[in-house]
Amino acid sequence: MQRFLQATAYGLLQGGLFAIVAVGFSLVWGVTNIVNLAHGALVIIGAYVAWQLHSALGLDPTLGMLPAAAILFASGYVIQRGLVNRVVNAPIWMTLLVTFGLELLLVNLLLVGYTGNYRRIRTGWASRALDIGGVRLPYGRLAGFGFAILLTVLLVLFITRTRTGLAIRAAGMDRGMARSMGVNIRHVYAVTFGIAAALAGAAGSIVGMTSTFSPADAGHFTLQSFVIAVLGGLGNMWGALAGGLLVGVVESLGAQYVSGTLINAFAFGLLVLVLAIRPSGLLGRPFYEARVET
Amino acid sequence: MGQAVEDTTAETAVPRARGSRTGPVVAAARIGIPLAFLAFLAAAPLMFVDSFLRTLSTVFMYVILAQAWNIIGGYAGYASFGNVVFFGLGGYTVAVLMTELRWPFWPALPVAAVVGAVYAAVIGLPVLRLRGHYFAVATLGVAEGTREIIINLPKLTGGGSGETIPAVGSLATTSYPGNAGFFYMFLALAVIATAVVWRVSRSRFGYALRSIHQDEEAAAAAGLNTTRTKVRAFMVSGALTALAGGIYAFQQVTIYPDRLFSVEITVLMVVMAVIGGAGTVIGPVIGAIGLEFLSEYLRQNVLEYHTLIFGAIIVAVILFLPQGIVSFSRDAWRRRRISLLENARRYSL
Repeated sequence: MQRFLQATAYGLLQGGLFAIVAVGFSLVWGVTNIVNLAHGALVIIGAYVAWQLHSALGLDPTLGMLPAAAILFASGYVIQRGLVNRVVNAPIWMTLLVTFGLELLLVNLLLVGYTGNYRRIRTGWASRALDIGGVRLPYGRLAGFGFAILLTVLLVLFITRTRTGLAIRAAGMDRGMARSMGVNIRHVYAVTFGIAAALAGAAGSIVGMTSTFSPADAGHFTLQSFVIAVLGGLGNMWGALAGGLLVGVVESLGAQYVSGTLINAFAFGLLVLVLAIRPSGLLGRPFYEARVET
Repeated sequence: MGQAVEDTTAETAVPRARGSRTGPVVAAARIGIPLAFLAFLAAAPLMFVDSFLRTLSTVFMYVILAQAWNIIGGYAGYASFGNVVFFGLGGYTVAVLMTELRWPFWPALPVAAVVGAVYAAVIGLPVLRLRGHYFAVATLGVAEGTREIIINLPKLTGGGSGETIPAVGSLATTSYPGNAGFFYMFLALAVIATAVVWRVSRSRFGYALRSIHQDEEAAAAAGLNTTRTKVRAFMVSGALTALAGGIYAFQQVTIYPDRLFSVEITVLMVVMAVIGGAGTVIGPVIGAIGLEFLSEYLRQNVLEYHTLIFGAIIVAVILFLPQGIVSFSRDAWRRRRISLLENARRYSL
């Protein structure tokens, strides 16, 4: 029982982190119809920014999250505006290849700049733990989980309650119509990508605070975002949150009770199954029901 | 959206009808030049050092992979991002048959092709119902999932620590063919793969695939059994890829799941087919030769930045040559105009 509770708690905390990574990925996929294979690389860049700020200025990663998010928002905006916008209308394999090329580029830049060594942001408090009836909850993970939930809620509020959010949703529903209503699509797409990158950056600083990281981890985050975005439904932010928590718990329990990496096979099997049977995700209708583009 | 633009690429990929507007000289050149090139290649093991021969083997392996992808991705328009799964399965079929059941290499290789084709049918039936990103992601998921299964069958496959085929000494079931042997195998299979694509491109089957690419509903309305056609294309693609994987496994002797199911192999075959010209016969050959030599050059001269530069090249090529070298040069030749900038704006928002 103790083991079960510990694994579940750990999975939930880890799941919050997955959710915040996946929510941006899902938003970009849902709105711009781009599967961003470089998303995991953005997370790792966020981790390095926070790490750099911590080692150079002694900035705590919970504060380093803000500059990391800001830097990644700016880079994300530029990447979409300068590069991805230029292939938006191309056949899918081209957009996949462009983002994959970008991933190679970013990951290898990190490898050249920081080597492939595993790093970790060491703070005094993050690895100490809260003990509830024998279940250990490290403060770093708790804080990370809190931030993940908070940011997801903020994102939902932003998308549903602000003018820019409205423009993003409109662009995702029907690009031509949004354009004719005076929405600057190029800008809106870039903002969407920027937001996703900013969330990835914030997630990155949480990653740096709670576990070790290296450029080689980028692909893992991308694949996980895939699974979560598909499970939750594209562009569905609550779906991404629920999917993230689910994947976190399942992975953690799987690591505890099932041998080795078989759980990954299960995750991918589930992914294919969901795609084949219910492409709109497990959680009800897709967010953008009125979507015109294919 | 996107649909209208996509159609133009498909259109450029349709070859001209047989014999139209080509004189006897052109026709002779079309057959003569490849034959001369092949004759030259057949003599390659006598002329080149071993390291270059290995590079050539890899080049031809990628010709096979790119051509196999070309059938399902280029002609049918179903961008598979998990074709490496057939490569890995083919490799493991040969490895397991040779190691566990002590089969010789030659009977094991055709079994790999059968395994590839059957697996393509099994996963193709559910997955080929999906379109666009969903298909790409589902195939990617299949490849990753299959790798995990292979890793978790350590008794049969050696698991994550790999499987070693007995290649020398008394345990070997087939003596190791050496660099020249593998070169000929890959070369022969590359020629076969290209011939298959050439045959497909002028057959009824090929036109069916192109019609699916352009408008699947219309194709179905015209009486085409689209599911059967797509699954067949996927099976041909899977069988060819599995054969390449089988030869590769024997060449490497020791194989690992992470290497044999690497996403990068899928990406490479897609990039090669797209750069050369997806949906053309000769495009993937050009793409594979050009890109693999470039990659090898970068690896030898700027090892540290090799992947970095490679990523930049992928991005640049997709931006400036989205329709591939073959279609681009054909258009440029016809219109007497080179239009890289026009290309860059082609798919822009």
